[in-house]
Amino acid sequence: MKRQRWLLVFAGLSFAALSVGTCRAQDWTPVITGSAGFIYSKDAGQTALQPIINPILLVPLGSRFLVEAAAQVQGFVARPAPGQSYEWQTFSNLEYLQLDYVVNSHVTIVAGRFLTPFNIYNERLTPIWIQNVQNAPIIFAIGTRTSGASDGVMVRGVAVSRANWLVNYTAFFSALSTAEQFQAGRAFGTRVGLFLPKTGLEIGTSYQRFLQDQHSNSYGFYWAWRPVTRVDIKGEYAHSPQGKGYWIEAAYRFDPAGRFGRELKNIQPVIRGQQFVRLSPGINDSLPSANTQRVDFGLNYYLPHEVRLNGSYGRQFSTTGDANHWTLDLTYRFLFPVPFWPKGAK
Amino acid sequence: MSVSRSRLVMFILLSFSMFAAIASSARQQPQQPGNAAPHKAVAKKDESAEGEKRFKANCGRCHHPPEDLSPREVRTVLRHMRVRAMLSEEDERLILKFLAP
Repeated sequence: MKRQRWLLVFAGLSFAALSVGTCRAQDWTPVITGSAGFIYSKDAGQTALQPIINPILLVPLGSRFLVEAAAQVQGFVARPAPGQSYEWQTFSNLEYLQLDYVVNSHVTIVAGRFLTPFNIYNERLTPIWIQNVQNAPIIFAIGTRTSGASDGVMVRGVAVSRANWLVNYTAFFSALSTAEQFQAGRAFGTRVGLFLPKTGLEIGTSYQRFLQDQHSNSYGFYWAWRPVTRVDIKGEYAHSPQGKGYWIEAAYRFDPAGRFGRELKNIQPVIRGQQFVRLSPGINDSLPSANTQRVDFGLNYYLPHEVRLNGSYGRQFSTTGDANHWTLDLTYRFLFPVPFWPKGAK
Repeated sequence: MSVSRSRLVMFILLSFSMFAAIASSARQQPQQPGNAAPHKAVAKKDESAEGEKRFKANCGRCHHPPEDLSPREVRTVLRHMRVRAMLSEEDERLILKFLAP
């Protein structure tokens, strides 16, 4: 019943926007973008092969509305137990299905299912063609409540924009949903960020109140710094009643004009360090059961036509046992106009 | 276990020190000087250059420019990124000039 109500609300909003926007739609064209990839991983001796496709549909409705939908279809090939033959499983999920309404230069209203805006990893860094290391940070589950998506309404935008600084904000409310593909928790949250374009630094903070079962607060901080074009440093800290932790990552692209630029210009070494401290026992909270530290070393190679080859090695230290993590993957980012859309061709 | 942890901390500190050293020695690419041209063309080129700067400052933190997009596709993608990556209205306008001049 709840699911039907949500679908009706979303369909109504989409239809209203379509009616308003179609008359000016000739300047825009719907596109399909996203990524595909194939990941080989060996985590604590367990080998897995994961083909992934992550299409995103973007349909502009005039100059103020945009419908965004993203799904992920993922195969998982692994041995159920040592010595047994490999088994194939397929998972699919709707990551988001949202209607954006750009009210003015400071306010955008988003309705539907959207990625939960807690710190920056969930919204900006999860696509496999963007990730520098192909596994999520340990603290990823804090603030994203494991599904990573919320069903409800969000207000966001740029509060103040000056030549040397910019303040952005997000506030959202999510309803409880147990409908298949629309699972979400009841919560509200906010995030505020300060971006300094000249120094390439962005810092921000997030807060979230979980409003079901045992009500609880989560908060976090994030930073992203690009001191020079080829260096990229990012990190997050997150705290919840179950645990707290941080990750920090640095990546470097070699300068093509440098001494070995011709040979090394497509290579990107990466390092990521992270630490998690368990504060209280949690059930199904997707966090490690004990204090954990981990370091990852990655090497990415940028091939032509949006293809990237990535490899990484990680070592995890925990009282429950130390482990090695290996990944090797190929990712491809695609983008093309929706075929057969009226006036949608190039 | 404590030895492993202290090694891990040393590893992280050493590696970040190396990154910091590389960062401080790296240099930004110089901007291409503009050509003498009619007023309007120069203004357009300035906007495109400013758009490139905005692209590097905002979008370039996560990815490089997409290949071969039509202006209509760029508009759609930029609207998506304005919402996702918190671009300002001016950023969106200037980056459009850069990606679809």
